[in-house]
Order: sequence, then C-alpha cells, then structure tokens
Amino acid sequence: MTTANDPWAIRNLSPDQLREALRKMYLIRKFEEGAEDSYTRGLIHGTMHLSIGQEASAVGACIGLSDDDKITSTHRGHGHCVAKGADLGRMFAEFFGKETGYCRGRGGSMHIADVEKGNLGANGIVGGGLPISVGAALSAKRLKTGAVTVCFFGDGANNEGAFHEALNMASVWKLPVVFFCENNGYGMSTSTARSTAVKRISDRAVAYAMPGVTVDGNDFSAVAEAMAQATERARAGDGPTLIESLTYRWRGHSKSDRNRYRTKEEIADWMARDPIRRMADMLIAHDILTDEDITAMEQDADRTIADAIAFAADSPAPDVADLTRDVYTRPLV
Amino acid sequence: MSRELSYAEAIREAMDIALGEDERVILMGEDIGVYGGAFQVTGDLIDKYGPDRVMDTPISELGGAGVAVGAAMTGLRPIFEFQFSDFATLAMEQIVNQAAKVRYMLGGAVSIPLVMRFPAGSGTGAAAQHSQSIEAWLAHVPGLKVVQPATPHDAKGLLLAALDDPDPVMIFEHKLLYKMKGAVPEGRYTVPIGTAELRREGSDVTIVATSIMVHKALEAAKALAEDGIDCEVIDLRTIRPIDRETVLASVRKTSRLICVYEAVKTLGIGAEISAMVAESDAFDYLDAPIVRLGGAECPIPYNPDLEKAAVPQVPDIIAATRDLVEGRR
Amino acid sequence: MPVVVIMPKVDMDMSHGTVSAWHVAAGGAVTKGDPLFDIETDKAAMEVESPGTGTLHHIIANIGDTVAIGEPIAWIYAEGEAVGDAPQGPAKAAEAPAPADKDEPPTPAPTPDQISDSAQNGETGLRATPLARRLARERQLNLSDLRGTGPRGRIQAQDVPKKAATPAHPTSKGHTTGQTPILLIHGFASDPASWARLERELGQRHIIRMELPAHGRLTGDVPDSFADLARRMRDAFDDLGQENVHLVGHSLGAAAALAIADVRPRQIASLTLISPAGLGPEINGAAITGVAGAPRVESLGPWLRTLAHDPDLITDAYVRAIMAQRQNPAVRQAQLALADAVFPDGVQAFDLRAALDRVDMPTRIIWGRNDRIIPWKHALSAPGRVSLNLFERTGHMPHIEKPAEIAFLLRQRGE
Repeated sequence: MTTANDPWAIRNLSPDQLREALRKMYLIRKFEEGAEDSYTRGLIHGTMHLSIGQEASAVGACIGLSDDDKITSTHRGHGHCVAKGADLGRMFAEFFGKETGYCRGRGGSMHIADVEKGNLGANGIVGGGLPISVGAALSAKRLKTGAVTVCFFGDGANNEGAFHEALNMASVWKLPVVFFCENNGYGMSTSTARSTAVKRISDRAVAYAMPGVTVDGNDFSAVAEAMAQATERARAGDGPTLIESLTYRWRGHSKSDRNRYRTKEEIADWMARDPIRRMADMLIAHDILTDEDITAMEQDADRTIADAIAFAADSPAPDVADLTRDVYTRPLV
Repeated sequence: MSRELSYAEAIREAMDIALGEDERVILMGEDIGVYGGAFQVTGDLIDKYGPDRVMDTPISELGGAGVAVGAAMTGLRPIFEFQFSDFATLAMEQIVNQAAKVRYMLGGAVSIPLVMRFPAGSGTGAAAQHSQSIEAWLAHVPGLKVVQPATPHDAKGLLLAALDDPDPVMIFEHKLLYKMKGAVPEGRYTVPIGTAELRREGSDVTIVATSIMVHKALEAAKALAEDGIDCEVIDLRTIRPIDRETVLASVRKTSRLICVYEAVKTLGIGAEISAMVAESDAFDYLDAPIVRLGGAECPIPYNPDLEKAAVPQVPDIIAATRDLVEGRR
Repeated sequence: MPVVVIMPKVDMDMSHGTVSAWHVAAGGAVTKGDPLFDIETDKAAMEVESPGTGTLHHIIANIGDTVAIGEPIAWIYAEGEAVGDAPQGPAKAAEAPAPADKDEPPTPAPTPDQISDSAQNGETGLRATPLARRLARERQLNLSDLRGTGPRGRIQAQDVPKKAATPAHPTSKGHTTGQTPILLIHGFASDPASWARLERELGQRHIIRMELPAHGRLTGDVPDSFADLARRMRDAFDDLGQENVHLVGHSLGAAAALAIADVRPRQIASLTLISPAGLGPEINGAAITGVAGAPRVESLGPWLRTLAHDPDLITDAYVRAIMAQRQNPAVRQAQLALADAVFPDGVQAFDLRAALDRVDMPTRIIWGRNDRIIPWKHALSAPGRVSLNLFERTGHMPHIEKPAEIAFLLRQRGE
C-alpha cells in the first residue's frame, strides 16, 4: 500500500521498474569506476568525462522512455547511454577503440551512440545536440511516430546560442521534445554563478513560453516525476518543457582536471547526498529491497562490468585499411 | 525543341518533384514560404504543399541547420535553404561538426541525407557579407559533398541527385545564374554527383571552371577561337568529390591548364586542381606552368567597378589564356 | 518643379523593370503613398506608390515598356503648377547604378601572378616543361643539346625534335649551312604548284610548301571556320618541326600564315602576305564560288582570268592544267564548303587585323592595285611598321604576275 506522502516514484512505478532503475544506477557507477580504472591502467586512449554522482538524473530522465523515444546526449554521456539500455560490453569496446564498439572505435567516449535504442549520440560540442534534438522531434511530429526526444545538455550549454535557437523553434512549432539540463554547477571550471545571469536555468523557459521546472537531480523520484509530466505534455502535442536537474559530478571535468575551482568540503557535502544511496534507502524503506538484495545487486553489477571489460579487451581492433570507411554511405571512388 | 526554364525555375521544379513524390521531403529556410524565398526560388511551392512542408524558420541559421541535421538523421529528407551562403558561417558548427561527421563518428550507424542550398557569389552590389563564395571551405570537410551547378539543366539534375544521396550535399547556386535560361527536360532526371562536364572541346589549353565562371570561360574561348586558340572548357560541377579523370584526360590532351573560379584565389579549388594534376601522371604532359584565375585577396567590395575587378572577368581569361598559349608564361 | 516618377529598384539584382499597370491615367489626380503603377521584374510583380501629390502627366513608359532603373517614367504636377512639355534632365542625372549584366569595364583584375625572373639570379638549372622532359626521354635526346624557345629559354615540347637525335641548332654563327627555309602557303582554290614561277626566280633555296585543308590531297575533312582552318595549319606547321622560317602566304594562305605567325612568333623570321585575306570584309564572292565550283575548263577559264590583271597571262593550257587537278567533284564540293565557311555570302567572315597588330617579326604586304578579288586598300589598315609593296597593273596573283619582283623583295632581307 502506498500513501499520498510516499514519493512519486513509489506511487507511480512498479517494484520491478524501481529495482531496474537502481540496478542501472549501480551499473552506471560501476561502469564509470571501471572506465576510470581502465584509464589508469592505460587501456583507454584520450580522455573521458565521468558522471559519477549524476546517476539519478540519467536514470530518472530515461525511466519512462521506450526504445522508439530518442535522446541526444553530451560529452558526459555514459550514464544516459546505460540508462537508455546500451550494452556495456560494446560501450567498453568503444572506449578501448575496438571494432566491436558502438562506433567501431571511431568515436570513443565522447561520441557513443546506440541508435537502435534511440540514443542519437553523445556530442563533443557543447550545445551541439540541442538543435539536433529539435530536428528529431520534428521528424516524430511529421512522421507521426508518437516518439518524444529528450535532449540532455549541461549548464554550460545553456549559454550557447544554439540553446536559444533550439528552444525557440521547438516552442514555435510545438514539438515533442524535453530539454533536460543537468546542472552540475560547473562548465569545466566556471560556476553557473559566474557564467549564467539567471539564478535558475529553468527561469529561461519563460522566454520561450514553455514550462520550466527545477528538480533535485539526486532524487530519482523527483526527476522521474518531472520527466513524466514533460513527456506527457510533449506526447499530447503541447510542446516542449525545460527541466533543470540540480546535481553534481564527484570527479573533475575530465581526467586532466586538478580540481582547483572547488573545495574538498563542497565535494564531500555532495557526496553525502549520494543519489544511489538515497535511492537504495528509499527502496529499503518501502520494502521493495533488502540490504542483502542490494549487496547482491552490487556484486552482480561488478560481474557485469568485469565481463564487459573482458569482452572489450578481447575484441579485435579496427583494420587501418578501413580508415575512411563510413565517411560516406556509399564509398567515393 | 526542348523546353527552356530559368535556373531558379529548374531548382523549383526539382523541389516540386521531390515534394510530390516523397512525403519525407521538407523545405526549410528563412522566408521561403509565402515570400517565396529571397531569390524567389521556392516561389509558390507553399501553396501546393502547405506550411508544414515548406517551413519558414526563424532567423536562426545555426538552430535551423541543426534541426535539419536532426530531422535527416531520424527519417526526414530536408532541403535547407540559406538565404545567402554567407549566413552559413553562423551554422558552421552544425554543418562541419555534425552533418559531416556524425556518420563517421558513429561508425556508420546513421546516414544524414541532408540537402543544403547556398545562394552564393558576387555581382549584385550586396558587398562583403552577402557576396562570398565559401564553397571551398565546405569542400575541405570529409563527409560533405559540394556541387556548383552552372546551368538550369544541372541545377535540377544535381538537386534531384542530392536528394537521392544518403549523405549531406551542399549546393552552391550563383545568384547571377538564377535568371539564366536553358533547356531543362521535363520530369525526373539526375546529374551524377562527382562528374564534370566537357562544355567545349579544344586542343590548345584546358580551362577548368566552376559555376558562373564556366560561362565566362566559354565566352573567352569563343573570342580566342577567332585567333586560332582552341580552348577546352570543363565545367567541374562537383568540387567534392572532384571528377579527376575528366580533368587529367584533358590536361594530357592539351598540355596546358588554367583554373578559373570566383572564390578567393589562395588555397582554393584552383590549388586543388593544380596539385591534383601535379601529383598525377598528367604532370608529364604539362608543357607550360599552370595558371589560376581566382578572386582577389579582399572582401567583395560595393562599388560596381571594384566588385567586377574582384573576380575574374572574360578579358582576364582571354589575356591569361593568350599569354599561356603564346608562350609568355 | 514637378515630382519625377522613376522606375525604382526593388530587387537586389534588378537592372530594368517593366510597367505592367498604371493605377492612374494621365491627367488623373494622385496622392503621395497611393498605388500609382505596377512593375514586373524577372521575379515578381510589385506595386509602386506615388512619390507625390497632384496630377499625373507625361507618362512616357506605357504598359509593357521596359525601363532601366532610375529612369523617369512620368511626372506629377502640384496644383496650379504649369504643365509644359515632358521635362528632361533631372531624372537622367540620377544614373542608375551599373547593372550586373552590362559589359565588363576594363579591369585591372586578378591576373595570374607574374613569375619572378629568377633566371637572372644566378640560377643554373636547365628549364624544361614536364612534357618536353618526357618527350626528350622517350626520344633519347639530351635536353642540354636542345634550345628552348619558351620564356627564359624554357624548353617546350615544340623544341624537342620529332625524329632523329640531331643537334637542334649549330652553335657557331656566321656559317651559312643552316640557311633559313622559305615556307609557302597557297591561296584558296589554288595549289602548291602555283608557286612554281616564284620558286624559279628564287633559285637555290630551301623551300617548303604547305597545302591548305580541303585542297589537293587534303579534301577529306573541311574546316568549319577560319579558326578551325588556322588550327589545322598551325598543327601542320608544328609537325614540320621547323624552328625558323620565312613565311610567305597568298590570299587565304596569307591569312593562314598570319594566324600561324601570331601563335608561333619565335619560329617566324619574317612574314610576307601576298594579297592577304582577313584584313577587311569585302571579297569577290562570285569569283570565289565561280572558281571553286566550275566543273569544266569552259566555266573555269573566265573566272580564273579575273584573278590576273592581264587575262592573257592565264593561258588555255594553264586553265586546263588547273582543271585537271579539279576533276574530282569531291575537291570542288570541299572547296565550296570551305568557301561557305570562311567567305559566306561573299563576305570575309574572319578578321585578322588584331593579329596583324600583334605580330612583331618583320612583315610586309604585297598587293596588286588591280586586284579584283580582294580590295588592296585593306592593306591600309596595317600598322605603320608593316611595309607595303604595291604593284601597278597587277591583279590578285602578284607571285604569278610579277615573280621576279617578288623574289627581289624576298631576297632583300637575305631571305
């Protein structure tokens, strides 16, 4: 029995959905840790942007989406990809630059996509996915697929011109798109206080005549609730919504970040609000899982990650002879 | 007797055919609806297909181009019109980072069947920000195809070919050509992307020209013929991918090469053609230095005499050709 | 002062507009801002508002008229203002900006970069084009044995001898073994044998005769224009591989000689144009087609006799000899087709005066004052440095009519 005082997620999602949501949050956490560990071991080329601490945001945003619904993702996109149902082995394979990776080793961490599951791809350009998501929503409307597009972007992108142009057009044309801003407080080293004129990014929705809401991005239930309303509005043909999800990345911007712009206290404070712990506690409190179940779930996630890394490590590297394959659909002669 | 249409009408007819036969085709651009487009290329298509398929966008080049990319990625076949090619500078991010690269960086998981149209070139007195020729910028980007039709026939055929192409095709249309009339077959036909057209056969010198320069080169060739100088004129038509063989075969035949293009001379298509010849076996057939005639190293000026002086004109082509053929270079 | 109504520029690349309707007739009242007339450009129809208030007069552009932008098309008179004749001037003064489709103004314009003259800066390497290098390789010639005729001594394909590997040029001067040959090009409907009298007068000289296309052995493929003919003659000249010749042509052959000299100036020591074509439009079309088409001696003879001042010079035997070479109808057909291409309707369809201005080797024109085929006064269009030798009582064939004098002229320059 649930009561009106229970969180939205407890009241509106099934125990299976909730367990699956927590499982995915663990997978994201473990995936990021595995990636970091592999990086440390020299198995990963380049850099990566870890989303540890933002798991509730990613999973809460995707919990109500089907494979037909689209997302556009960001450079900090591993969580979105896992939340949308990607195969972890192929994700690691991409990190490792292998032919079995989602992008056959051509994209790497920053461009992971899983088109079959509706993930149109992470983007290395801040704000790059904003207009693209509007285009995907335009297709959905014209082709009457009923799909919604969720556009993930960070607080940094809200100061790009593409943000203004994309939100304006989506509103003018009443397109089925949800603009989901993961505000983790910093665009690289520059805080939103120093970069953004409004206190709340969601305040900007007024300028585009769309609803703007701010939620605690470390609260799975709050995120899922805001998304449910936004996707319902989108599917009803009432147009876009801007959701600002307040969260925090525990790690630096990328692997080269020396964390000079924030204090240890600030980081510790946010780590105390660990979204996974909060989700687990909520499920235990509502008798959906036990401590033992959670331990088992964590161990299961560890095994999944280990398998995925093994798959990636054993996968073949791309053939250099195929360097220019896939520049064009039909090879130029 | 074949039917004549203007270049603009030929483009409109191609879009009309595409809209009529494929529900996925949409037109997007600034003022392309009831206004008919800044150069009246879309004309009254909105009356036939409605505002959902002939979509006026806000003045948002970056956003509009990105919407077109996203739409192309997810099942539509947008034809996006930039009001002036110059305005594409605002949309470079979406064209260069997204449209051109998404397929590759996703390992071939998607295609971007996107057509973009760019009214380009000088000659209208619109000065520096409405007269540029930036096709070589885009031709430098793997993942894009770039075409420059010079005739109404090719304008229609290349647009329909672009729509059949699964990858992004950028079409640069010279504004001064919009009113040019020429024979245009009825119905659907395509001009293959990546094929040049021999516009005039000759034996003394190969002139490789693009867009409006094709017509200037032909006019020059006619005048030179009076003096017994026999020019071969190649209309490149596509600058990415370049029709290598047509150019090389011609150079092997004439032993002399002149490239004529309106864009700024330095680091342009002329450099590419010259290098292509120099790197090929056709090098051994060269009997004179290669000559490039391109735009001056300045923005397009306003004053009409300055504006003309900023891009190659017929007398320049005649003089350069004569110097080359008569051994003064 | 009445208000001038002008053809307005309403479109960026518009140069002219067509009046498609007047909303007010002449004499009618108009109010500033009200629709006055409609114009059509290539793109659209557009309504134009009245630029003033008063009465419309002097509509000089009627419906359907196309007017350059900025030009006046009517005037509006204020109440009480005297209406006279259509004013002129003020509107004209406001000239329309040069439309994009007018003739090109002379432009300093992007000419290709000048090649810096590095040869003077102590550069030692041998200059040769890639093609010349390849040809020399294939013909097993040493490039250093060849003399380059291109800019700064660049060896070009034409500098590589076609056949045996003989040294291209004797290095010592003052030697006379390498006497410069005389290259002769006959006229229309004539043949190389027509030079026989002149050759006799010239004595022991190295003489080369060239044949025009559609003549003699070369009747197969008729040139479709003078440019075509000139190109083939130039190719034939190139095939001869001659590096330095005195070039002599007669009539159409003179025109061909001039065209060759224009593109191969370095290989021409001097140029002699005898009764040349190409210096003016007039030509005796009847004689041209008469000679070319005559199927037998009876019809050929009278036409041939118009060529010379003294008809007795054209003997019956000469006419028969000429006709013998023209028995084949294909020859006559080819020459009629050539005449139609280069001299259509009795007019010279090509103009080489610009070429004559350009050539800078010693050049002379020889003409008979009694030429009935091409007026000798065409010679007067030649620039001053071209010498003119006029012969009295001489027709179109000075080399036949006055061979000794022509030979004398040719010898003057050591030719």
